[in-house]
Amino acid sequence: MTVRVLGVGAAAPELRLRAADVGAAWGRGGRGEVAVCAPDEDTLTLAWQAADRALAAAGVESGQIDALYWGTSRPPFAEGPSFAFLAASLSLAATVGGALCAGSTHAGMEALAAGTDAISAGSARVALVIASDALRPGPGTGFEARCGAGAAALVLAVDGPVTATIGARVTRTRPFLDRYRGDGEVDNRDMYDARLFREQIFLPVVRDVAENLAAFDVRAWSLPDPDGRLGAVLARDVRAPITTSSTIYGAIGDAGAAAALLGGIAALDAAGLVAIVGTGGGRTTGVLVNAETPVPGAALTADAISGGRPASYAEALRARGQLRPVGETIPMGVPPESAMFVRGADEMLGLLGGRCVDCGTISTPPSIHPHCINCGGPKLEPVALARHGRVHTFVVNQTMPAPFVAPLPIVVLDMDDGARLMLQAIGDGSDIEIGRQVALVLRKYAHERGVPVYGFKAQPKKEVAS
Amino acid sequence: MSWNKVAVVGAGLIKMGELFEQSYEQMAAGAFDAAVASVDKGFEPHQVDAAFVATQRGTLWGQEGIGGNTIPTAIGLAGIPCTRIENACPSGSDAFRVGAMAVASGVHDVVLVIGVEKMRDKSSEEGLLSRAAAGHPIFTRGETAPVLFAPFATRHMHEFGTTREMLASVAVKNHYNGARDPYAHFQNEITVDDVLKSPSVCHPLHLLDCCPQTDGAAAVLLVNAERVREFTDKPVYAAGFGVATDHPYLHEKDSFTEIKVTRMASQRAYAMAGVGPGDIDCAEVHDCFTITEILDIEDLGFFDKGDGGRASLEGDTSLTGRIPVNTSGGLLAKGHPIGATGVAQITECWWQLRGEAGERQVETRNGYALQHNAGGRGSGVAVVNILTNRTDTS
Repeated sequence: MTVRVLGVGAAAPELRLRAADVGAAWGRGGRGEVAVCAPDEDTLTLAWQAADRALAAAGVESGQIDALYWGTSRPPFAEGPSFAFLAASLSLAATVGGALCAGSTHAGMEALAAGTDAISAGSARVALVIASDALRPGPGTGFEARCGAGAAALVLAVDGPVTATIGARVTRTRPFLDRYRGDGEVDNRDMYDARLFREQIFLPVVRDVAENLAAFDVRAWSLPDPDGRLGAVLARDVRAPITTSSTIYGAIGDAGAAAALLGGIAALDAAGLVAIVGTGGGRTTGVLVNAETPVPGAALTADAISGGRPASYAEALRARGQLRPVGETIPMGVPPESAMFVRGADEMLGLLGGRCVDCGTISTPPSIHPHCINCGGPKLEPVALARHGRVHTFVVNQTMPAPFVAPLPIVVLDMDDGARLMLQAIGDGSDIEIGRQVALVLRKYAHERGVPVYGFKAQPKKEVAS
Repeated sequence: MSWNKVAVVGAGLIKMGELFEQSYEQMAAGAFDAAVASVDKGFEPHQVDAAFVATQRGTLWGQEGIGGNTIPTAIGLAGIPCTRIENACPSGSDAFRVGAMAVASGVHDVVLVIGVEKMRDKSSEEGLLSRAAAGHPIFTRGETAPVLFAPFATRHMHEFGTTREMLASVAVKNHYNGARDPYAHFQNEITVDDVLKSPSVCHPLHLLDCCPQTDGAAAVLLVNAERVREFTDKPVYAAGFGVATDHPYLHEKDSFTEIKVTRMASQRAYAMAGVGPGDIDCAEVHDCFTITEILDIEDLGFFDKGDGGRASLEGDTSLTGRIPVNTSGGLLAKGHPIGATGVAQITECWWQLRGEAGERQVETRNGYALQHNAGGRGSGVAVVNILTNRTDTS
């Protein structure tokens, strides 16, 4: 069966770390910059952002998704409900199938292949494929200043408008060690020997896969480039007319499992054949995508990953959990494994409210509102809350104990559906004022006892409401 | 007609502050001794029939699992009936109200109402800052105490043009009064400039817009009005009281320019006492932050909505102003040992109505003083008590 690409979306953290700042800490040079996660971002929040954009571009409702395939080298739980948390935060149906692919930076290609196969086999009519990553290199390792973060998502379907279709696939498996971390290790280890990696591991197998795809009339390529040079070598080998991945690497660094698909979706902004090659963990896979017209969302890739605020090396280390304060931090009043999180799982991750059948007022969250806050009525129906609103009033908290980081803006919002919410806002608060429009995005509120606690935060929009 | 079924015949407190050297029990005993010693015609501790104790955060600050039983032992009266009232920042005010109802019911003739709070036995981070990690994991995450009131300041400034100078004038006035109150935590005067230049705590509130964390205790003795002459010839009566509740979370509020529960509780208290805001000679109100006092004086009906900032800046609430507010120094200068706060405010009203407030004494032409607290997450509860020295209404 034909596998269509209905829409794509990309995401990357706003923070940028300069390679020169990393190099300076270790007595080295460095050029370029990479995207690094803020303390409230990780592979799951990046995946959510890319998927949210892909669904919007495709014009597909979350309830239509039959299967989710998510590839990341670093799911938020080493073992746990990573897939289920992401599915709930995207408001996917409880019946959603699919898989979490992990274990190496090849995971993004595995998700794409699995999603394609699910559609081909007829086990899913609409599949959401997401690749996201946030590499966590060991401080001082040679690849540290190259390690970035980002996410790409594709909506695949058996029906729909003709935009692009997924074609031939080539794959190779070789039992070689490349970049890795052992069981229980949190930081990626460096390559044992850069020349050994280049000459005996990376180039022979990736070149083999790429040259198979080069037999076709490929318009644009997404090629792996872990060290900032190998991508150019491959592009020369296959005589690539356009290498969209080099732009992605230049903007955000090596986005690990997301890198191949990010380069791939960026290339879908025009008609023609696109070759996507990803590698990691001893596996390399290449896929052809035939775009008959530009794919919705593809042209937004560059904007979606464009950078913002520069981060110091110390800030990046703190955000990655590699620089920690001494002493106890304030634990959550409600442990994240406890009953409240079981009761509130759907309403927190899916952002639900209770709409009063009698007066229409929305009370939220539903689990603590058996009665309406306006009329006291007992009949409330669950509704998905609006994701856009404006600031009614706000504060910027400057006095925060660890694990909080000040400044922390907190906003009271009048949402477009009439609900009122109070949430944390993204940024330092300097761009917040009464009337400012915001969009809600998924972020991490806490990380305690190994459990990431996700919820929505307010992202101020640039313009001021009239 | 004022209610006047219950009289306050004794009141006292201990010097507020960071009382690292005193236990919870020692603070309670100090406040009780002060109240006993204040009774004009003498008072024996064993005359107490029952006690109501207000402690708001015992579970956090070293009194885990506290019930009503700690206080009788601490004051040498083990065995008496004693009940703990926990009702957020108005805990002390509400203990007074419940104690008065216990006396008026005829069940007890003499009741001790005592508020005790240990705020400084654990670190600041484990104390007030721990609020930031308490409550709902998303909707209250990062909600330290100033977050509960700063959004009102932002909105009040936006709608009414209230300025930081107006906010600061509240802190300046209350520190001025506190410098004349020997029981106040802070005994120093400050300037508007001091407030403006103090570090930002939670925009738009700065350090001197905020009350301190204070240990303290206060106690009052209530008796059936029919027996008041056994204890004093200068009685002060509970003229009326009111309580009101609202939704607890900030995102459930209708308005960020008023504390609705303050308006509702005061209307109930005024009705019970048979008076209006214009009859009040002086008031002890909940000024945990400067903006809170500006909201209070509007919501209690002393000033029009939106006019509280101007009134504060122009001295309408000073010791010689139209309606003196927080003559004791308020929470900003006297301190805010939560359970003790309301009881200490009643003590100040008692002194004012008896003409015993020293340098802080104001003119009590009508013979009414008002006491108010609000709190409970996003101001979900308020209590207003009105006291009077008038006997013609009983």
